[in-house]
Amino acid sequence: MQLTGWYPVYLRELLLFRRKCLRPGYLISAGLVPLMYLTVFGLGLGGSVRLAGGDYLSFLLPGLIAMTSMTNAYACVASALCLTRLYTKTFQLLVQAPVSAAGIVLGEALAAMTKGLFAAGLLIGMGLLLPGQFRVTPLLLLATMLNSGMFACLGVVAGLLVRSHEETSTYTNVFILPMAFFGGTFFPLDRLPAGLRAVVWALPLSQTNVLIRREHLDGPAAAALLALAAYTTLFFVIGMRRIQRYSE
Amino acid sequence: MIALSGVRKRYGAVAALDGVSMTVEPAEIFGLLGPNGAGKSTLVRIATTLTRADAGTCRVAGHDVTREADAVKRLIGVVFQESNLDPELTVAETLAIHGRLHRVPDRAARVARMLQQVELEAWQHRLGRELSGGVKRRLAIARALLPDPAVLFLDEPSTGLDPQIRRQLWDLIRQARRAGRTVLLTTHYIEEAAALCDRVGILRQGRLVAVDTPAALTARVGPFVVDWVGPDGRLVQHMAATREAAIERARTLEGTCTIRRTHLENVFLQLTGERIACS
Repeated sequence: MQLTGWYPVYLRELLLFRRKCLRPGYLISAGLVPLMYLTVFGLGLGGSVRLAGGDYLSFLLPGLIAMTSMTNAYACVASALCLTRLYTKTFQLLVQAPVSAAGIVLGEALAAMTKGLFAAGLLIGMGLLLPGQFRVTPLLLLATMLNSGMFACLGVVAGLLVRSHEETSTYTNVFILPMAFFGGTFFPLDRLPAGLRAVVWALPLSQTNVLIRREHLDGPAAAALLALAAYTTLFFVIGMRRIQRYSE
Repeated sequence: MIALSGVRKRYGAVAALDGVSMTVEPAEIFGLLGPNGAGKSTLVRIATTLTRADAGTCRVAGHDVTREADAVKRLIGVVFQESNLDPELTVAETLAIHGRLHRVPDRAARVARMLQQVELEAWQHRLGRELSGGVKRRLAIARALLPDPAVLFLDEPSTGLDPQIRRQLWDLIRQARRAGRTVLLTTHYIEEAAALCDRVGILRQGRLVAVDTPAALTARVGPFVVDWVGPDGRLVQHMAATREAAIERARTLEGTCTIRRTHLENVFLQLTGERIACS
């Protein structure tokens, strides 16, 4: 597997991102949804809930960070690839350049990962300003990075599969949104019925939510880490294969 | 330089290309002429590795476009009909990124030279979305030429441009040929094919119905035309092998006749039975 040519792919996305990341519209869209969840569930309802002896806000914040990095990394690349492939046709420039398929996936995924981390960083900043027991641990940072990368790779796959911009919404509503709600963001997975719990536990975001809330790299954390690595590899390879077989 | 043999491509029930075989010689400007939907863009997409043919082979400089796609990508520059520019990148950024993608050596100097060649120095800090159609097309050509390609593919490069900009574009294409590049351009403008191309291929419903020099093609159907407006007001055209034959033919017709030299439009009409959009 050759990764040649990933840097200009990444650089191009970063140049585009640099122009929009400080625009009020982007900052609001990246930060508003998690801020609303934080306000409604964390500060509103969360005052009367305690989980595992801790306050709900401290439980919720890592989950919201995982969810935010997921939605931003995934949506940015899925939407961008759909638009550049089907509408502006700038994706064709990448396919027609002497850049390897793995290089294209890596460049796009790293750029989406950067966007996911940017949005997650905004939320981490907000979390540190709030009262409570929220702490930024090395595992939280590692989980956020891996989660951004994993969903960036999934976003590449989705962006290459969709046949219209409307379809990106369908993928988001069918795969990403249910994961955000059931994947351990708002409540622990052991609150779910046993049958459903097994299915939900296998979801990528559930594994991130296991890792992101661990204090140390113990057994469950290591298992989650391996699961995230496996998912990332799987999505990366699928994306690479899609580009290798790309034909209009 | 470019060789297609029995290339077929279907989209569902529609045969976009139906067994096309042709060659383009080195340092030649070859024009593919045909109406919308004739298969011109499909042929360009196949030759530039973007679309896989269902059958047949396509080679660029001896490299198979499917099996040796990377080698082909290092040799080609492509300008598509749609202005596929990033609206949020500046002109200079667009070229710099393209230079990096194609690993252009001495990139900054080459970008500066291309900006000068297409007269876009004053526009280099403008965003893609701020450019007019003509400037976008010049940028697309500069981008295609940046890696110094041996073969240039231009898919309807002058569609939608005003006549003055179109002539500037023709100059750039002629410059490319003078620099030793092979150019394959598709067009539905007759005058463009006649003015620029060493040879022209006429494509109709996915089939190549004729390939020759513009002069040979016009000679093939007769070098003179008698345009006659019939009693019902319809224009009828009669081809003639000599001026005398045309005059003789005109004498048999009642009403107004005009005798003129044949141009590619008449060739197209004769060979395909269809009228092409005329500029």
